[in-house]
Amino acid sequence: MKILKYILSAAILISAVSCKKFLDVEPRSSVSDEVTIVDGPSAKTALNGVYNALASSDYYGTSFQSLGYLNGDNIKWTGSQGYLNQFILHDVRSDNQALTSVWSAIFQTINRANHVIEKVPTVTGLTDAEKNRIIGEAYFIRALSYFDLARTWGGVQISLTPTTSAGDKNGLIKSTQVQTYAQVLNDLKAAEPLLPETVDRYHATKKTVWALRARYHLYQKEWADAEIYAAKVISDASNYQLLAPFSAFFANNARGTKESVFELYYSATSTNGHRNSWQPGENGGTRQWAPNDAFVALVNDPLIGGNRNVLVAKTGSGLWYGNLYYRSPATDPTYVIRTAELYLIRAEARAQLNNLSTVNGAASDLNAVRARAGLLPTTADTQNAILLAIENERKIEFAEEPHRWFDLVRTGRANEVLGITDANKLLMPIPLNQVSANNPQNPGYN
Amino acid sequence: MQKIKRISASYGLILGRSTLLLSLILVTFLGPLAASAQVQTKPIINSTLTGTVINSRTKSPVEGAVVHINGTTHEVVTDREGKFNFVTGQKFPYTLFVSLIGYKKKEIVANGSPVNIELEESVSQLDEIVVVGYATQERRNLVSSVSKVSATETKNLPVAGFNEQLQGKAAGVQINSNAGIPGDGIFVRVRGTTSINASSDPLYIVDGVFINNTSLQTLNTGGRATSPIADINPADIENIEVLKDATATAIYGARGANGVIIVTTKRGNFNTKARVSFNINQGVASAIKLWDLESAEANAEVMNVAWINTGIDKPSTNQTFANRPFRPVSEGGKGLPSEQQDYDRLNDLYRTASLSNYDFSLQGGTSATRYYFGLSYTDQESIMRPVYFTRGSFKANLDQKVNSFISVGMSNSLSRSFRNQATAGDGPTGNMMVSTLNSATYLAKNAADGTPIRWNGWDNLQQLLDNYNTNTKSLRYIGNLYADAEIIPGLKFRTSASVDYDNYNESQYWNTNTVQGSAPTNGRATSGLSDNTTWINEQTLTFRHRFGTKHNFGALIGNTLQSNIRQRTSAVGTGFANNSFELISSAANTTSSQAWTKGNLASFFSRLDYNYAYKYYIEVDARADGASNFGKNNQWGYFPSIGLAWRLKEEEFLKNNSVISDLKLRASAGYTGNQAGIDNFASQGLWTGGASYFDVAGTAPQQLGNPDLKWEKTRQIDAGVELGLFNDRINLQVDLYDKYTSDLLLSLPVPAVTGFNTYLTNLGAMSNKGYELTIVTNNIRKPGFSWQTSFNISGNINKIEKLPAPITVYSRDWVRMQEGSSMYSFWLYKQLSVDPANGDAIFEDVNKDGSITVADRQILGSATPKFYGGFNNSLNYRGFDANVFFSYSYGNDVYNLNRFFAAESGTRPDRSVQSIDKNYWTTPGQITNVPRPTSVGNNYLIEQNSRMLEDGSFIRLKSLTLGYTLPKKLTSRFKVESLRFYAVGSNLLLFTKYSGADPETNVTSNQNAQGLDYGTPPQPRTIQFGLNLTL
Repeated sequence: MKILKYILSAAILISAVSCKKFLDVEPRSSVSDEVTIVDGPSAKTALNGVYNALASSDYYGTSFQSLGYLNGDNIKWTGSQGYLNQFILHDVRSDNQALTSVWSAIFQTINRANHVIEKVPTVTGLTDAEKNRIIGEAYFIRALSYFDLARTWGGVQISLTPTTSAGDKNGLIKSTQVQTYAQVLNDLKAAEPLLPETVDRYHATKKTVWALRARYHLYQKEWADAEIYAAKVISDASNYQLLAPFSAFFANNARGTKESVFELYYSATSTNGHRNSWQPGENGGTRQWAPNDAFVALVNDPLIGGNRNVLVAKTGSGLWYGNLYYRSPATDPTYVIRTAELYLIRAEARAQLNNLSTVNGAASDLNAVRARAGLLPTTADTQNAILLAIENERKIEFAEEPHRWFDLVRTGRANEVLGITDANKLLMPIPLNQVSANNPQNPGYN
Repeated sequence: MQKIKRISASYGLILGRSTLLLSLILVTFLGPLAASAQVQTKPIINSTLTGTVINSRTKSPVEGAVVHINGTTHEVVTDREGKFNFVTGQKFPYTLFVSLIGYKKKEIVANGSPVNIELEESVSQLDEIVVVGYATQERRNLVSSVSKVSATETKNLPVAGFNEQLQGKAAGVQINSNAGIPGDGIFVRVRGTTSINASSDPLYIVDGVFINNTSLQTLNTGGRATSPIADINPADIENIEVLKDATATAIYGARGANGVIIVTTKRGNFNTKARVSFNINQGVASAIKLWDLESAEANAEVMNVAWINTGIDKPSTNQTFANRPFRPVSEGGKGLPSEQQDYDRLNDLYRTASLSNYDFSLQGGTSATRYYFGLSYTDQESIMRPVYFTRGSFKANLDQKVNSFISVGMSNSLSRSFRNQATAGDGPTGNMMVSTLNSATYLAKNAADGTPIRWNGWDNLQQLLDNYNTNTKSLRYIGNLYADAEIIPGLKFRTSASVDYDNYNESQYWNTNTVQGSAPTNGRATSGLSDNTTWINEQTLTFRHRFGTKHNFGALIGNTLQSNIRQRTSAVGTGFANNSFELISSAANTTSSQAWTKGNLASFFSRLDYNYAYKYYIEVDARADGASNFGKNNQWGYFPSIGLAWRLKEEEFLKNNSVISDLKLRASAGYTGNQAGIDNFASQGLWTGGASYFDVAGTAPQQLGNPDLKWEKTRQIDAGVELGLFNDRINLQVDLYDKYTSDLLLSLPVPAVTGFNTYLTNLGAMSNKGYELTIVTNNIRKPGFSWQTSFNISGNINKIEKLPAPITVYSRDWVRMQEGSSMYSFWLYKQLSVDPANGDAIFEDVNKDGSITVADRQILGSATPKFYGGFNNSLNYRGFDANVFFSYSYGNDVYNLNRFFAAESGTRPDRSVQSIDKNYWTTPGQITNVPRPTSVGNNYLIEQNSRMLEDGSFIRLKSLTLGYTLPKKLTSRFKVESLRFYAVGSNLLLFTKYSGADPETNVTSNQNAQGLDYGTPPQPRTIQFGLNLTL
């Protein structure tokens, strides 16, 4: 029995070795969330993570952008994913899977920004200017995120701190649309003094903040402010220009042109899937959606589309497709804010302020965009006519960018143009799986 | 555990991986010690005994019978002529025990030499030896619920994995072949599904090695995944045991909750001559049925109808009769429907496939060594071009007695599986089935000048067939090395080291003739190298002793250390000069990635069993598991069980009963766990380094930590009856069970406002209650003629008992898991009828609010069958043998996505129309369930229509085998021991109401979505002819 004792104790000894060290295994492709933003380099990489979320396929990569144009009246659905047709038919259900993924992607961006905004101030090893720049960019991205939430869904829960546990945000109550927009302005105001007045088309600067403020004030119908902030960017004419022809800002693999105020960067290693939904099978896409016949006719009309007809192209078998995103590998930038938009913002603000002049007035801004498209000056001469001309100009100019739906909603023209009689449908339903007591469904949906 | 931890700290320098070496040293070191403890004497020869063992029914010699002299450790094995030979110190007379699996144990008193012993074949399952965790038992002594399947019954079924061959063979084991693609993953559940986010697959053990059952596939083949089980050659398998209840599975603790499938491969026998066997067969496979597609004319007609109706419903679309797509060419259209030509693509894609299989084996043994060598090659073509599966395998099992109390041995299996793959399932490009089945039948294959045409952005089928280039090579080694030492009689120590290694090499090339490779991509090549390595070291100490005459006692303790590492490196290249260049080194653009993960498991286990006079049984099992992937607060889990049995037949009142030949009652209860499929670092809060921007590295939150994370825990109660009637002519086994799984490892949806979508936590519960019944009858048992029938039926009721919020699965949320319903339930809008007046689909307005909204979606149907099983008959008449086997499943629903992704009555342009949907509404008063074709309104906009939900119940003639063995008199002249010719047919008949090609189908490897039929080829009907030759 002595032998048995030896064996037993030996066996226990052998196996017991495992217990402590053996069960301690660490990953290699991730790090613990306890050591994330601790010094200069990690603050910078965390900021890149925020941009990465902003550029993700469900946000500014593809899905969020598609909400802006599918809900409009230029695009038809040509693929297999029928839920996309809900946008086109203005019959969106709360179980629409695109809505859910956009919603998640935006809040993911916000959480990443919250980490930077909260943690970077305490980090050592950065100059104040560097720190301010990093925090300022995060504020800008958070502002843009809440702006997109507010214009798509109205009021949302406002999260301003990094999430550290699953129950972190349980107490957050849904805000109103006004409160959500107020948060946008707060963040823009916080970002502005922190950011340098430089030109960087891929990252936020003071000028990017001004550009977004211009859009913000336009949405708020604060025409004077919209004009001021648009002008602040336009006036930097050496850096922000309307490049002619229209295709100059995207064709021939162009990127970072002077047309661009803020664009998102993609490369062969981090691609932009947007082209897949536009390009036909022949070009390796799925042509999930395509310009509809009405738009094809408009954009090909030399008096309306002008040289913007490059937005559409035709396959060998005669199918039209959108061609703003076309590159292979899929490195197409996402154009978040273009100089053309600032001209049209200022045009609209000036028109609303009844400055219709062809010199430093609404018509001059509108004509600048038309001239670039190879069109004659506008013939509109009343306030209403100019406003409608601007609306129609935006319809063509931004046909494949996320504007048309939001434009028709903010101007109250969705009923007239799209035939949406139920005002509740001007906001998207909160995704079904996000609805809770604290986050009730928008009116008119269930 | 505290104490052990302290010990471990003091011996912390010794690393886990050196334990094998230590154990071996231990055995070799202790061996002589143990030897010296025994008294060694010079052998005295007192008698020499020779004899012959024959089969009492057929009177033919019995090989491999073990002859044992009572009271000694001495035993010999009969040779091919049934002869044995003893030289012993015992004096006549003495008692001999003769035993062999499949025969009744014989006790005979030898008064002198030679002796002739007749062994009676056992028709009783009671004598069957059953492998359980870390031991074997006779079925009569079994306290737990275990199903056993002999590989000879199943091995000729032409599917790649042995698990797929088990369909209908074992009660309580549900098997669904997802697609007719050899080597692809299948659905296996033992007593139901226990988990949502962890795996519900059983634990597979081959020759003591816990093997990997998770596919290493990363290439997209339409949602499906390959089966690692297909790397194992079924021809090398002797037996398969399925452990089901708590007593059987608790010894596997944290991995036992989904049942355990133990595979025992073939080994040689001591003292037998070398025997060479060949099994060769060749065959063909074809589809039982394919899909019924409407003609080009009908297909074009519905396109027109939908076009015009949509225009009527929404005039702004400007769709009118005048501009309908199929109008005369002279009017600028595609020609009238009646002018359309038919194009059959199904016949281009499907073929009569060939099957071939070659098995060679050599087995035998000397007094101290036994061996089994196997060499096999199998080639199975899918009926869908160009897919095929080949596997070459090599098997070597060796056992060596070092001396009278130490033996060592090894099991080795090395295989190489090659899969020529193609996408069939979900996804628009490169997809065989989408290009074929979904394409309208009026779409021309080629332009007038012969140029292949692509439609709908899909590939041209012929171009795919000509240019498909996707394949995978899996090199798999499963091996085990052990040493056994009988320290004192009854006390055995065993140590073993095992490896499961899989090198999985994937490559894919899309040349410019395919959509994915055409300009501007200009060729796309993908190469991926994955490997999965599992190291296992295990020690057991077993003790078995009979105290007095009636107290039978056994004990087992053991430990396991297991480490699993999985890594992958992959690269993608695009932009090739031309189609002659396929290697990524020639690509203009390349990207690459790398992944690595590791998980460790440490375990201790024990078993105590006791029976009084083989009448009253008790067994207690327990295992403690510590895993690296769980939170620091719950790293260890404990899983106990208890089992009781009462063999009433041994009681006086039944002992002499002539009707009841056996009666046993069993009951067991216990806990098992589950963690399979959970990420190795799931409990840690992590940031990823992969969130780059502007080509500069970026970091971002990846997952929330949960230090409290722990195993899912399954409590199982089982009660069983085993009954033998009329001298075991009828054997009946019934089991009732109740499994309740709590602490589900749940990827709990969290509000997105947190920045996360899910959080892995232990929440939720699931139950499985069911019954199993197996009846085996020996209808006829005469010299020269036998007939055995077996029947099994199992039913399982699965219910999600607790789930805080519903979870939807798969695209369009077709599948939903919610509290109170069962897994694999479909979440749909219920179409009640089609309004005969206007052709509009009428959906059930569940909340009566007057409109059809998401609130009206409901759980309708489930892919889980109400009951399933098999029915088998085997007959032997002189040299002839026949086996007829049916498997069946009742009450399982299938959601027919092939219909959904077809034309949807013309609302999807240029897609096909299945015959079941041709009867769409056209005229007022028409009664149909296919709504009026229009893209406006709910008729086709609602994508979760119950109309596509169909009954998937089936009965299939799973296999039919006919064989003839040549008379031995004839074959022995040619020194051939046995020669048998046979024919095997599989899936010869299929009875089902399902409208698709095969109700046994699933498009996705997502374990929570079942019964989604989309684009997978059906299981083939096969016929094979073969021969077994033994020399």
